[in-house]
Amino acid sequence: MANIDLVNVEKKFGDVFAVKPLNLSIKEGEFIVFLGPSGCGKTTTLRMISGLEAVTDGNILLNQRDVTWLHPSERDIAFVFQFFALYSHMSARENIAFPLQAAQTPRDEVKQRVAQVAKMLRIDHLLDRKPGALSGGDQQRIALARALVRRPAAFLMDEPLGALDAEYRESMRAEIKRLHLDIGATTVYVTHDQVEAMAMSDRIVIMSAAVVQQVGTPTEVYNNPANLFVARFIGSPGMNLLKGTYQAGAIHLPGDNRYPVSPAWQRTLDHHLPGNGAVIVGFRPEAVQLNPEGELNASVYADDLHGGYSMLHLELTKGEVIHARAGREVHMNIGAPARFEIVPERVRFFHPETELAIPLPEGSATR
Amino acid sequence: MAQARTERKLTSTTTAPRRAGGGRQLSDNRIVLLFILPTMLLLIVMNIFPLIYSLYLSFTNYSVISTDAPVWVGVENYTRILSDPDFWHNFAVTGRYTLLSVGLQTVVGFSLAMLLRTKFTGSGILTTIILIPMMLSPIVVAVFWKLIFNPSYGIFNYLIGFTNINTAPEWLGEPQLALWAIVIVDVWMWSPFVMLLCLAGLSAIPEYLYEAAAIDRASGWFQFRRITLPQVMPLLLIAILFRTIEAFKQFDLVQGLTFGGPGDVTETVSVQLYRLAFQGQFNTGESSALAYIVLVVIIAISNIFILALNRVRES
Amino acid sequence: MTAVPSNPNAVPTPGAPNVNVNFSTRVDKVSRGARWTRNVRAVIIIIIALIMLIPTVWMAMTAFKSRPDAVAVPPKVFFEPSLEGFVSLLTNRRQLTATEIAEYQARTDLAWADQIALVRGQTIIGPSDFPRQLLNSLIIAGVSTIFSVGFGVLAAYAFSRFPVPGKDDLLFFILSQRMLPPVVVTIPIFLMYRQVGLYDTHFGMILLYTAFNLSFSVWLLKGFIDEIPREYEEAAMVDGYTRLQAFRKIVLPQATTGIAATTVFTLIFSWNEYAFALMLTSDVARTAPPSIPLVLGTGGIEWAAIAAGSLAFLIPVVIVTFLLRKHLLRGVTFGAIRKG
Repeated sequence: MANIDLVNVEKKFGDVFAVKPLNLSIKEGEFIVFLGPSGCGKTTTLRMISGLEAVTDGNILLNQRDVTWLHPSERDIAFVFQFFALYSHMSARENIAFPLQAAQTPRDEVKQRVAQVAKMLRIDHLLDRKPGALSGGDQQRIALARALVRRPAAFLMDEPLGALDAEYRESMRAEIKRLHLDIGATTVYVTHDQVEAMAMSDRIVIMSAAVVQQVGTPTEVYNNPANLFVARFIGSPGMNLLKGTYQAGAIHLPGDNRYPVSPAWQRTLDHHLPGNGAVIVGFRPEAVQLNPEGELNASVYADDLHGGYSMLHLELTKGEVIHARAGREVHMNIGAPARFEIVPERVRFFHPETELAIPLPEGSATR
Repeated sequence: MAQARTERKLTSTTTAPRRAGGGRQLSDNRIVLLFILPTMLLLIVMNIFPLIYSLYLSFTNYSVISTDAPVWVGVENYTRILSDPDFWHNFAVTGRYTLLSVGLQTVVGFSLAMLLRTKFTGSGILTTIILIPMMLSPIVVAVFWKLIFNPSYGIFNYLIGFTNINTAPEWLGEPQLALWAIVIVDVWMWSPFVMLLCLAGLSAIPEYLYEAAAIDRASGWFQFRRITLPQVMPLLLIAILFRTIEAFKQFDLVQGLTFGGPGDVTETVSVQLYRLAFQGQFNTGESSALAYIVLVVIIAISNIFILALNRVRES
Repeated sequence: MTAVPSNPNAVPTPGAPNVNVNFSTRVDKVSRGARWTRNVRAVIIIIIALIMLIPTVWMAMTAFKSRPDAVAVPPKVFFEPSLEGFVSLLTNRRQLTATEIAEYQARTDLAWADQIALVRGQTIIGPSDFPRQLLNSLIIAGVSTIFSVGFGVLAAYAFSRFPVPGKDDLLFFILSQRMLPPVVVTIPIFLMYRQVGLYDTHFGMILLYTAFNLSFSVWLLKGFIDEIPREYEEAAMVDGYTRLQAFRKIVLPQATTGIAATTVFTLIFSWNEYAFALMLTSDVARTAPPSIPLVLGTGGIEWAAIAAGSLAFLIPVVIVTFLLRKHLLRGVTFGAIRKG
């Protein structure tokens, strides 16, 4: 159980920043996920916390103890690798027991603790097999067991589900989350899969190009993305983003559409937008409501049946397509006109140049 | 031609390029035969046939310089060789040479690979420099090492500290040292080969294995024994196999450095074979028998190694 | 579960926070100790590289030494360069009488080579055998390489793409040819060649080298061709090309690097070859390796000349090693091992 503090942690390779100075406080028992596309710096940050990568500047504190320059084995952390990193010539049992043996734990205690974690991860029947003979999912369970058996202050996981088949990934995801709830240990988890991040995390740290884009709970980053990157990256598909012109209390959107803005928003927009009236409007597919009397119009470009719901692609004008989520029973013909409305509380606005979200007006409900 | 291709793309089923031979196409089977034939033919004529001929000759008392036809003598050549103490002496020399040479090469080559495994500026150039000796012609190498080993004007003794020419060891002249001299040259030439193979194995080891070991507080020795060694072992064994066979066959170096001398201290089996067949009495029959004995030994050695290799691969 | 307290006595990497870490490294690897180890390692490697270089460099130096310098006691590291060795190597000379020496010394129109010969009281009467032998090496190695790579690429393609009956056995058989001691094969071939008049002929040596190198070239080329996806030829054949055309237009161009590497390796093996050349040639077709050890001058072993010959012989190989450095692993293990 530990809290981790990153104070101005940065990493440079030559003159290039891999991680720009980063400040973060991870609470005890929190499941925090570093999310972002490849090369954004999330894995580097994780490795710096573990000691596998040396910081160029800054400090890392574990339970208020400065561990910035301690050897990885002295930081009281366990690391789970994407490709399992199991010793192929040792049995599963020996792999799991290994960290305890290195710490010279008495043999009885080793036996007992190995049996305990094996039971927790349901691999007791595999303990005497060699890793090479097991499936990816089982191998990762052994790697998890090896991490668990140390009872570290924090678990660090580097895309642990990345090397598994899709069907394994879903069940392992639930298992890891379940483990976390059972043990309550601080977990720092890295992934590029936003579905995973949204499903598992208490808080998400979204990174792109060495910079933290937003830190928040899944609900926060979903409903109130801090900038265009987060708006696009979170959600499948990402948020609909339209360029518009704000003028006289309404926004002119592509396809000859006029979207009236509420008075509360008008004040905020007048304050934050550049004078030329350019603005970016964002709303999630669920915020679109098809309504034959709706103010906005488009034509149907495509209709994807997703089993439990339909994802419509609506074309406002040539080249501008938005996604709209509709019930399974809705069936539209390609090319047919579609009128719709946007749920007002779900609309967000972004500054066209800074790409930052325009802050919500005071008192507005944030769903 | 470009136009023809685009035309073909649009109407792919209607036009086809003109075939060589005006429409007659060689079937795949014919092609296989045609392609393999020259190779197999050459190998049969130049390798198989001589081997069979050689086998036949080994049972005769033929000599190339005489005008008599070969006379069948059965296994007389074989028994004569196998009961000849000189043969066993040479065999022992060859064995000793192989053991020493391959053993040292393995140690030096492996150590070199461990040293060079991390890239640093200039490691590419240095690696290439280290690899040059094994590409040189062995006889030429033997010749200039003869100069280097010379007790009066050779630099070897000077470099290892013997500056007084009266007390300096005579590498190629003293019976105890001569074999070592050849071993030294062989190790100089071929450690890079072992190094090359070990480097290939070492570079294939993923870094995260070492990282996991570091986090688990594994000792350096553990990391070597459990991560490094198992990954390198198959390639190391292949290197040892190649070098053992080559060392057993070694002719150029010995011939160039000592001609088998002083006396017969460094007379390996290959040298004896050469002498028997192409010098002195030109005893073709007996030398053929000897050649076959050598062949059998080499095949035995390779088989043992390949078995060991498979066992390592499986684990 | 109770947490195990972390080691309170853990010592951070000494000197670490003051070190510039603008590169990828673990925390424990920036300590002074780790840097010291790295430096020691670099020094050891340089020493070893020197050990590998010195014999070859020494021989190269000897090639440019005058005759007495070459056998100086103690060995001379600094010397005045001379081309005596090359002259000895490449020319036949005769000893001049005392009067002739005086006469020659008075002349001013002597070529530089003659001047060098004059230092030892000799004059050049013509080229030695060595240039011709070097040429023989070139011709025999070159032509046999063309054939063995040519036939080899065909066989390699067939083995790579088609299920030839007994393929594995055949391939192993081909490889095992290389395991034979040359002497085993030489004795019967010597007899055969003598019978058909191929002893000491260019054609005989070319034939032998081609066959001998086939095992190597087939293995190496097969490895390269295996790496070219079949889909390219199959697409071409769907487009209407015959297999032969697909082979010529698609496979061969893609295999160029492999063919080049194989060609160079085969050239090196043939170029360096000694045993066969020693036993199956004597004069007409004699190549350089058997004769380098025997370069004799008047009065004992001419080390400068031998060094000159060795140098001339080694330079092409050194250049080529450098050019081929990316393929060396593959080449020396007969294509059995590919790096990366």
